[in-house]
Amino acid sequence: MASMYDTLVNLLVDRFEVDRAEIRPGITFEDLEMDSLFVVELLVVVQTELKVKIDEDSASPRDTIERAAEMIEAQIAAASSAP
Amino acid sequence: MSTASVAVTGLGLVSAAGVGVDDSWRTICAGVSMARRDPALAGLPVDISCTVPGFSPATHVGRRSSLIHDRFVQLTIAAAREAVTSAGLDPRTWDGARVGVVIGCGLGGVSTWERQHRRMLESGPESVSALLIPMLVPNMVAGHLGMEFHATGPNFVTATACASGATAIGTARQLLRDDVCDIVLTGGGEAGVSPLIVTGFAQMGALSKRLDEPATASRPFDVDRDGFVIGEGSGILVMERETDARARGAQVLALVAGYGATADAHHMTAPDPAGVSVRHALRTALADAGVGPGDVGHVNAHGTSTPLNDAAEAAALQDVLGPGPAVTSVKGVVGHSLGAAGAIEAVCTVLAIRDGLVPPTANVTVQDPEIELDVVAEEPRHQRIDVAVSDSFGFGGQNAVLVLTAP
Repeated sequence: MASMYDTLVNLLVDRFEVDRAEIRPGITFEDLEMDSLFVVELLVVVQTELKVKIDEDSASPRDTIERAAEMIEAQIAAASSAP
Repeated sequence: MSTASVAVTGLGLVSAAGVGVDDSWRTICAGVSMARRDPALAGLPVDISCTVPGFSPATHVGRRSSLIHDRFVQLTIAAAREAVTSAGLDPRTWDGARVGVVIGCGLGGVSTWERQHRRMLESGPESVSALLIPMLVPNMVAGHLGMEFHATGPNFVTATACASGATAIGTARQLLRDDVCDIVLTGGGEAGVSPLIVTGFAQMGALSKRLDEPATASRPFDVDRDGFVIGEGSGILVMERETDARARGAQVLALVAGYGATADAHHMTAPDPAGVSVRHALRTALADAGVGPGDVGHVNAHGTSTPLNDAAEAAALQDVLGPGPAVTSVKGVVGHSLGAAGAIEAVCTVLAIRDGLVPPTANVTVQDPEIELDVVAEEPRHQRIDVAVSDSFGFGGQNAVLVLTAP
């Protein structure tokens, strides 16, 4: 199974026209020219495709791709351990 | 109010006849209809349209365009870039505060609206794009041009349905005459070929039902016309005061010499059969331009190919201008692009003046005997044009008439 980081990279490439060569774990959305509206849209796509709801206040264009992947993983873990 | 002369110094055109002024104009002058069966409309009561061929948002606009722009914005950005380049202007060096943007648009991002509505019904509200609103609001087309060209002067959209593009140009001219702006990017953009919108027009009975022979469906002023064919596109003009344009050595393609705007105040969609307000708009525009009816050599008509419009328009043109002007409707070739139509037609009128060439109206096999205009058909007509009229009428009864003159 692909890691959440790889999944996120694929979403950015396929859905947000980001150049795959530009993406690395430490790069921020801002560096990829993704502003706050793009980040909110990314959360919509994540919710639709990955069935994970991330609150829009918890993500920002200054987040790195790695941190966003960790946040999604943590949310999945929290949801699966919920009663 | 200043009476400063306003010049057209740049043009951009994206239509069913092609991407770019040269391609579009060549096809329009050939007089061959671009209407086709449209696979995107398959199964609907009317499935023919005039869409822009070979338009690639990624190539013509930018890598992320499809993510953030509805098609009406994409078509308009492409036309505006061509217009600014052809005017010989460099937005990196102009004073953006003196540059205005006035764009006509009747509908806005209707394809985005439909797509997202379907998504909400099928997958729930959480699946609706966060970019829905910025993609659908009609004023965003002017907003994007402001961002694209660093134009920070007055920036807005005019909505007078199928007259929107002409209304925008007339309004933009006033910003220059009032010295609010030194440069205005104006015109119109529309992309209304979506299943819901096409069906809406079909339900009104406004569209041609020649589904089996789409290339003959749009036939303005022909005796067998039965409705319009929906199109899409954008026409953009760069306008400046003539003195400024001359001072910087710019090409002056034509002057926007007159403008008349009126309302029928009669019916939601049907033209006033008496045509009082259309006549008044024509006379106002001529008076504004300081020319008489006999001076008009060419009319780029609204000519939608609907029975009602063409009859009412022809009666008004005959009454005010007489039988003299060479009349054409480019909608025979490119269909009716709604809010963009008046702007596309203004661009064509400028080109007709530039080239001394009136394009033929496609599909006029037998001119309606009730219409006594000199409708140019089959072949383009070469003639010197000093004064031309481009008239546009919108649902809602809004009429906008431009008088364009040779520089």
